[in-house]
Amino acid sequence: MDKLKSDIEVLFIDDEPNNLISFKACFRFDYTIYLAVNAEEAEKHLREHPSISVIFCDQRMPGKTGVAFFEEIRDRYPDPIRVLVTGYADIESVIAAINKGQVFRYIKKPWIEADIALTIQEAQKFYLTAALLKKKNQALEKAYHELDQFAYSATHDMRGPILSVLGVIELLKTIPVSAETGEMIGMIEKAMLKLDGYIKSLHEHYSIRRGELHFTEINALDLIGDVGALYDPVASLKQVSFIKKHSGPETFRSDLPSLKIVLANLLSNAFKYQREQASDKRVELEISVGSHEAVIRVSDNGIGIPENDLPDIFEIFFRATTAEYGSGFGLYNVRDILNKLGGTIEVSSKENQGSVFTVRIPLMFFHRGRSRGSGIVQSDRLRGR
Amino acid sequence: METGRADFIIIEDNKVDCFIAEKTIQNSGKGNSCIIFSQAALALDYIEKHESDGQVIIFVDIQMPRMNGFEFVESFERLPLSNRHLYRIYTLTSSINERDRERIKMFPSVKGFLNKPLTVDIINQVVQVNSP
Repeated sequence: MDKLKSDIEVLFIDDEPNNLISFKACFRFDYTIYLAVNAEEAEKHLREHPSISVIFCDQRMPGKTGVAFFEEIRDRYPDPIRVLVTGYADIESVIAAINKGQVFRYIKKPWIEADIALTIQEAQKFYLTAALLKKKNQALEKAYHELDQFAYSATHDMRGPILSVLGVIELLKTIPVSAETGEMIGMIEKAMLKLDGYIKSLHEHYSIRRGELHFTEINALDLIGDVGALYDPVASLKQVSFIKKHSGPETFRSDLPSLKIVLANLLSNAFKYQREQASDKRVELEISVGSHEAVIRVSDNGIGIPENDLPDIFEIFFRATTAEYGSGFGLYNVRDILNKLGGTIEVSSKENQGSVFTVRIPLMFFHRGRSRGSGIVQSDRLRGR
Repeated sequence: METGRADFIIIEDNKVDCFIAEKTIQNSGKGNSCIIFSQAALALDYIEKHESDGQVIIFVDIQMPRMNGFEFVESFERLPLSNRHLYRIYTLTSSINERDRERIKMFPSVKGFLNKPLTVDIINQVVQVNSP
């Protein structure tokens, strides 16, 4: 056996001084040993020596059992590995303690040196693994947080200059310039709008990731009004008829920012993926509020989605067409939100005939774990449940 | 006081955006005057000392160093103004954060949450709203 003293620090608690002395005599050359005759002394050691990694405690001590002591210190000192030493056959309490995770092992009294040495080695291994895992988890958590923070503030900071450029372009339009210059200004504007669109969806992506949900009373008609204010100009510009319908109760409870992101993504897609030559371009938004769910349906008669692309449209960075600008974030964000709301989205689409997206949001919100899957149901049914 | 025109106060730390705002207001022909402050605290000081007797439209950016838009509105609402009803604040920002939007709605003196860039259309809308 390696006779070099390891850097393992062990605390041994027993109300009989003789036991303490013999423990120290056996192991003082191998480990750093701290001894305590009662809980108070033991706590003092734990306070003063935070690198204690293994604690042995006698089960039968006056005033307090070893299990009770472990339970008491567990919250304050969660890291050291706890080993119960018992000279009695109180197997029941030992089993209970092990099962509750209060102790790592137990050692029978009178103990033999080899048992203790083996237990210390095992406990130390466990201690180091747990400590490493904890450290890695903390680092990961921190990295996640920083990434979120960065992405969040970056989207803000990047938009500022873009909007400045767009503002200057707006001013330039009031000044007479040659046709060629005008055309080039138009190109700059278009590129800036693309970039801005990309940043917006990036922002959405991160606000969903960070997002806490705030359920409030939502008025469907107000929501339709808000959406109209945003998309009516787009509709008239692109010569698309934009039909808005509502049925059922006017109000329902949900998270408004989430709904707005869902609507914005579905509608901007519906307006974007129109057939250029079509004369009867149409986008329809229908919000039906029922007793158990709100159903939002966005349909268009645009270019549609090829059948073999349908399963992939909700994947991040997936783009079914290069015909129009897209970030590959939009529908991924939509699906993410619906997962959070416990809702689903269905799509049915035929190439060159159009697409129908049906979103269902339960009105009684039950939290569903991520393990439940994507929350996506593929369906060819246009209507029906 | 001529209807359909207003005095404008711009509170914005970005020079280009100040230029855009000033020029856009000029192009709209709706401004009697246009004063620009790169710091919200200076604007507060000015408003307190030069109380207006005509319509004033304030465009304030939300993200600014030192005193931000929220803090400005808070302080503005504590100013002892006798013609408070003549002042209308609009936040003008690059923020697309819904929470910012919800938070700013809480202030009664804030009449709208506008997205950059400022355009003549926006000016026409806010001034029309103000016209008696």
